[in-house]
Amino acid sequence: MKSYKELPDDAGSNIIGQVTAQANRLTKRLASIKRTVAIMSGKGGVGKSAVTANLATALTLAGYTVGVVDADINGPTIAKMMGVRNATLEYTSAGVKPAISSLGTKIISMDLLLSEDDAPVLWSAHTQKDAFTWRSTMEVGALREFIGDTEWGELDYLLLDLPPGSDRLPNVAELIPNLGGVIVVTIPSEVSHLIVRKSITMARDIFKVPIIGIVENMAFYACKHCGEHESLFSPEDTPDNTFQVTTLGKIPFDPKLSHCNDNGTPYIHEYPDSLASAAILEVTQKIQDFFKYY
Amino acid sequence: MKFLCIDCDTAMKFKDVTRPEQGSVTAVFECPDCFTEIAMFLNPWETQMLKSLDLKLGGSGEAAQPMQMVRSQLETAKQDSMPNVSSEMGSGETAEGGKCPFTAVISDAFEEKPESEPEGPTWTPEALERLERIPSFVRPMAKMGIESFAKENGHTEITGEVMDAARGNFPAQF
Ligand SMILES: Nc1ncnc2c1ncn2[C@@H]1O[C@H](COP(=O)(O)OP(=O)(O)OP(=O)(O)O)[C@@H](O)[C@H]1O
Ligand SMILES: [Mg+2]
Repeated sequence: MKSYKELPDDAGSNIIGQVTAQANRLTKRLASIKRTVAIMSGKGGVGKSAVTANLATALTLAGYTVGVVDADINGPTIAKMMGVRNATLEYTSAGVKPAISSLGTKIISMDLLLSEDDAPVLWSAHTQKDAFTWRSTMEVGALREFIGDTEWGELDYLLLDLPPGSDRLPNVAELIPNLGGVIVVTIPSEVSHLIVRKSITMARDIFKVPIIGIVENMAFYACKHCGEHESLFSPEDTPDNTFQVTTLGKIPFDPKLSHCNDNGTPYIHEYPDSLASAAILEVTQKIQDFFKYY
Repeated sequence: MKFLCIDCDTAMKFKDVTRPEQGSVTAVFECPDCFTEIAMFLNPWETQMLKSLDLKLGGSGEAAQPMQMVRSQLETAKQDSMPNVSSEMGSGETAEGGKCPFTAVISDAFEEKPESEPEGPTWTPEALERLERIPSFVRPMAKMGIESFAKENGHTEITGEVMDAARGNFPAQF
């Protein structure tokens, strides 16, 4: 009787071929993207999406062609922050045309596919019971399609706004073998620092992904009357060598930044002279330097 | 997965995939020499696994459509985010329907709503309790099997005895 190895193929399903075709689609798309940057954090709510949206805008204003993938499949916020929630995606044989912000940044997000504000991401299944066994596989599939099936054209930068925690990083590192680097966003609290350290170890030591640096968000609050800097979290400044990686910038808390995110208007374009804009531009400059020297 | 016709010592070929029942898909394989056919049943859990990997039984057929997995599997999708795929992609069939037999079959599987299921035999509390003890991912298949066994044998009520009688037909213990 013949053995497994002696049978020529898997009865015609060609599963290996199908998986290879998926990988090839992605590889082909990635070939026209110069640099990919994943924005991650340890904890949630520290401002990853706000930082991603503003860095994307800053890089676009600096003359680069920029795309953003909202890799937070279940909690997508990038479309709102970048003012494209009402965009309708267009499908062609070459791929899906991304939404484009008022300044020209290209955006893909699950938010653009969901039916209404209250709609969660619900995948078709005979039963949602035991969904934990396959949901994550669906999410990675969605991410693969977002990166690989969007008609980005030639991009200088593709930024990925990751969900909180470090869970999604392994998937991103696998989908994008030449991932340019990771930016880790944190706030100046020991609670956040504790978790950020784990994300850094995960990225640098386990997945060998280059770390571009740390962005300290909501680093301080400048009093609008006297201009004095007050801390919002820890009273101590975070020393630059706390995480043994470069600090790219310290972005202050600015209610206007939050309003801009809520309204989908580009903060650094509206308030170019603010302290937060200066910090965002400093981060943008350091990202460019990183890719110049890296 | 490979299948061998032991009599002919020949690799069997994928022939067809049938409409799913309660999320469970049936694939048919045939021996090219003696034309013996066998059916492979995927339980809903296995079916879902294939779907989540965007893999198709019997091969993918056509070239991939952009974001086909998200477009065919996202239940809470906006209508205008799922237009018909342009004619270059196929023959203008809906994204959900697709041309691939498996995609089509799978999409149909989701439309099954428990409310619209035909009236089946009733379950006694004792039988239901035993059903609950079956691992959840094989339970729908076991339930379906027991119900069709009951129907074929003229039982309108599923009791412990009916389950015992049906037991021989299933790999799962209950
Ligand atoms: N420097 C800042 N000044 C004022 N508001 C800010 C600043 N950074 C972020 N925010 C606001 O804080 C809130 C949380 O930020 P954001 O959604 O970007 O966090 P996140 O890390 O992406 O969250 P999640 O982990 O849920 O993805 C948002 O309303 C955002 O507009
Ligand atoms: Mg976010």
